[in-house]
Amino acid sequence: LVPLLAALVAGAAEARATSDGQLPGAAAMGTGTPPSPSGTAFEETRLHVFTLDYPHVQIPFEITLWILLASLAKIGFHLYHKLPSIVPESCLLILVGLLLGGIIFGAEEKSPPVMNSDVFFLYLLPPIVLDAGYFMPTRLFFENFGTIFWYAVVGTLWNAIGIGISLYGICQISAFGLTDITLLQNLLFGSLISAVDPVAVLAVFENIHVNEQLYILVFGESLLNDAITVVLYNLFKSFCQMRTIKVIDIFAGIANFFIVGIGGVLIGILLGFVAAFTTRFTHKIRVIEPLFVFLYSYLSYITAEMFHLSGIMAITACAMTMNKYVEENVSQKSYTTIKYFMKMLSSVSETLIFIFMGVSTVGKNHEWNWAFVSFTLLFCLIWRALGVFVLTQIINVFRTIPLTFKDQFIIAYGGLRGAICFSLVFLLPPAVFPRKKLFITAVIVVIFFTVFIQGITIRPLVEFLDVKRSNKKQPAVSEEIYNRFFDHVKTGIEDVCGHWGHNFWRDKFKKFDNKYLRRLLIRENQPKSSIVSLYKKLEIKHAIEMAESGMISKVPSSVSLSEYHEGKIKPLSPTEMENMREILTKNLYQIRHRTMSYNRHSLAADANEKQAKEILIRRRHSLRESLRKTNSLSRESTVLAFCCHCC
Amino acid sequence: QGQAQTGPGVTSLFSPAVTSEQIEHLHRRFKQLSQDQLTIRKENFDSIPDLEFNPIRGKIVHAFFDKRNLRQESDGLADEINFEDFLTIMSYFRPIEMNMDEEQLDRFRKEKLKFLFHMYDSDHDGKITLQEYRNVVEELLSGNPHLEKESARSIADGAMMEAASICVGQMGPDQVYEGITFEDFLKMWQGIDIETKMHVRFLNVDTIAHCY
Repeated sequence: LVPLLAALVAGAAEARATSDGQLPGAAAMGTGTPPSPSGTAFEETRLHVFTLDYPHVQIPFEITLWILLASLAKIGFHLYHKLPSIVPESCLLILVGLLLGGIIFGAEEKSPPVMNSDVFFLYLLPPIVLDAGYFMPTRLFFENFGTIFWYAVVGTLWNAIGIGISLYGICQISAFGLTDITLLQNLLFGSLISAVDPVAVLAVFENIHVNEQLYILVFGESLLNDAITVVLYNLFKSFCQMRTIKVIDIFAGIANFFIVGIGGVLIGILLGFVAAFTTRFTHKIRVIEPLFVFLYSYLSYITAEMFHLSGIMAITACAMTMNKYVEENVSQKSYTTIKYFMKMLSSVSETLIFIFMGVSTVGKNHEWNWAFVSFTLLFCLIWRALGVFVLTQIINVFRTIPLTFKDQFIIAYGGLRGAICFSLVFLLPPAVFPRKKLFITAVIVVIFFTVFIQGITIRPLVEFLDVKRSNKKQPAVSEEIYNRFFDHVKTGIEDVCGHWGHNFWRDKFKKFDNKYLRRLLIRENQPKSSIVSLYKKLEIKHAIEMAESGMISKVPSSVSLSEYHEGKIKPLSPTEMENMREILTKNLYQIRHRTMSYNRHSLAADANEKQAKEILIRRRHSLRESLRKTNSLSRESTVLAFCCHCC
Repeated sequence: QGQAQTGPGVTSLFSPAVTSEQIEHLHRRFKQLSQDQLTIRKENFDSIPDLEFNPIRGKIVHAFFDKRNLRQESDGLADEINFEDFLTIMSYFRPIEMNMDEEQLDRFRKEKLKFLFHMYDSDHDGKITLQEYRNVVEELLSGNPHLEKESARSIADGAMMEAASICVGQMGPDQVYEGITFEDFLKMWQGIDIETKMHVRFLNVDTIAHCY
C-alpha cells in the first residue's frame, strides 16, 4: 500500500517538476506540450491526438490525492483490528506523514510543503470543532461549566506564564547558548505551547471511553482555552514588536480577553439563532437543509476570525445553539445527512492534519538545542501537573462532586498538544524571532511526545487506575422517566429550601425557552417532552429494525416458543383482548402517523420506510394470528400478562 | 432568633461535617414556611411560588409528610411536621463525603433510593404497580396540554415492560409482573450513581434564602 502511494506522490511531484518547465524526456509522457500560442505560421502544430495538461488540474488533483491518501491510510490501519486499540490513529497518521515527508524530501532535495497555517485555521480546523460542538452533551457541559472555564482560563494562564518564565531562567544560563532569547519571546513561546489541543484530545480520548464527566472536562477545556490562547499569543507578539510597554497595554490585553471570548460566543449564538430561524421555513426545499447548518456555522467561524475574536468559541456556541432547534425543524433524512456529513468532514480534516504534521516535520527548518528542547518538555509536564493539582484543590471547594486524584491525573495527563501550537509556531514572524527554528523544533518534540508517548500509554493507565468508564447502554424510556422525575424532585427541594441552584437557573431558562424561543424558531411548535420524543424515537427505531431484520423480531427477553403451550395461556376475555389491541393500535397509529409525514417532500419514499409501514400492518395481523396460534412475540406476551393483571 | 431546638437524634443523622450554622439556616427557612409556628402543614407549601410550576408538586409535598420517610414506625401520612422532621427529610439530600467507606456509601445510596421509591409508591404497599407508574408519567407530562392521556399511558406501559425485562428477564407463561419492588428498583438504578446527583447545596453556608 505504501509503495503505491509513494509512487503516486512521486509521480505527482515529478509531474509538477515537468510543468515547471524542466522537461526530462517529454517523449515519455506522450505528446506532452500543449500547442504554444507563439508558434509562427511556418511552425504549425499538428492536431494533437492525446494531450496531458497537468497544470490545468494541478491544485484540485493534488488536494484529491492527499485526501485519498489520508483515507486509504485509515483503511489500512483498521485492516489489522488490534492496531487501533494499542496505538491511537493520530500516531499512525503522523508516521505516515513522516514517511511521505521523507520521500518527498529525498526525491526533491528540498523541504516538503509545510502545512500552510491559513489552510489549517480556515479549512481544516473548523469541521472538527463543528462536529465536536454539535454533538456535545450540553447538559453535562453546563453542569461543569465553572470547572471547565476555570481550567481553561486560569490553567492556561498559569501554564503560559510558568513555562515562559522558567524557560527564560534557563536561557539566562550562558552555557546553553540561548541568551539572545528575550523574556517576551519566551512568554510568547510559553503561551503557544500551553494550549491543550482539541484535535489531539478528541483523537486520543475517542478510543479510551472514560466517563463522560472526565471527558467533558478535558475536552471542554481544550475548546475554551482558545480564547485565552488567541489573546496571549497576539498580546505577546505585539509586545515583542513594540519598543516600550506601558501599563495601559496590559489593561488593554485584559480587556481584549473579554472581548475575544464574549464576542466570539455572541457571534456564535446570534448566527445559531438565525440558522434555526431559517430552517423554520425550509420544509418545502428539504434537500438543502443540511447546507444551512454548515454554512451558518462556518460563517460564524470566519466572521469571528475576521474580527480576531475566538473562532473556535464562535463555532462551538453556534453549533450548540443550533442543535436544539434545527433538530426539530429538519426532516429525519436531513438530520441523518447533517450527522454523517459532519462526521465525514471532521474525520477527513483530522486525518489530513496529522499527516501534514508528519510531512512538515521533515525538512530543513529545524535547529536542535538539547537544553532548550528538553527543558521545554520538562516544564510543560511539570507546570501542567502542578497547575491541575493546585487548581483542582481550589475548585473542589465549589464543586458538588469533588474531583479525585485519579480524575486529576487523567486531566493532567490528557493535556495533549497538537496542531494548533504547531501552526501558531509557524506563524511567528522570523524577523522578530531569529531563533524561530529552535522554537519549531521544540514544539514538534513536545507534540510528538504528548501524542505518541502520552497517547499510547493513556489507555493502559486508565485501565490500571481503574478510572470509571462510560457505560454506553441503550437509551431506555424508563431511564428518561426517572431522570425527568429526579430533576423535578431536585428542583422542588431546592425551591423548598430557597436555594438557587443549578436546577433553578436551568428551569428558568427552560421557561424562557418555551415561552419565546421555541415559538419563534420552531415550525411546528408543540411543547414536547423529552420522554415523549424518546419514546417515539425508540418506537420508530424498533419498527425499522424489524424491517431490516426481515420481520424476525430480536427482542431481548423473548419467551421461547417451546415454553408456550396453548393450554397454559390464561384464557382472555374479549374485553382484555380489546384492551390490548387498543394499546398496541394506539402505539402503532402514532408511528404510522409520523412516518407518513416524512413523505411530504418530493423524494420518493424510502424502501425502508415503506417496509416499515408494511411491517406494522403485518404486525397487527400477526398479533391477531398469535392469539389463535402459539406463535408470539414477547412484547405481546408481557402485554398479555399486564392485561391479565390490570383488567 | 434563638438557637435551633433540635434533639440529639437529628445531629446523629448528620456526619460531623454539618455545622450549627447550616442547621440555623434551615431553621430560618422553616420559620419562613411555617410563619413562625412550630409545625408545618401541607397548606404552608402553597406559599412557595416556584413550586407551583413543578409538575410533581403533589408528590414532593406528600413526601415531606410520608411517615416512612420520617423514619416513624407507623404508616400513612402525618398531618404536620416539626423542624426535626423537616431536617430528617433534608438529610436525604446531603452530599457524599470523601471519607466514606464502601458500606457507608451503599447505605447512603439505599436511603436516597428508598426516598425516591416512596414517591413512586403512593399506596404504600411496597410495590410500584402499573397504575401507580401510569400516574407518575401522567403527572410528569401534565405540563403538555397537547398530549393525550393515551400517549402517557402507552409510555408508562412501555416503561413497565422494560422494567419487567430488566428485573425478571425471561418470564414464564404463568407469570404476571406484579409491580416493581424495591429490589427491582435498585437494580434499575444500578448504572446511575444517584448518590452524587441527589444532593442540594443548601448545606453550604453562603446560599441566600429566597425571600418573597
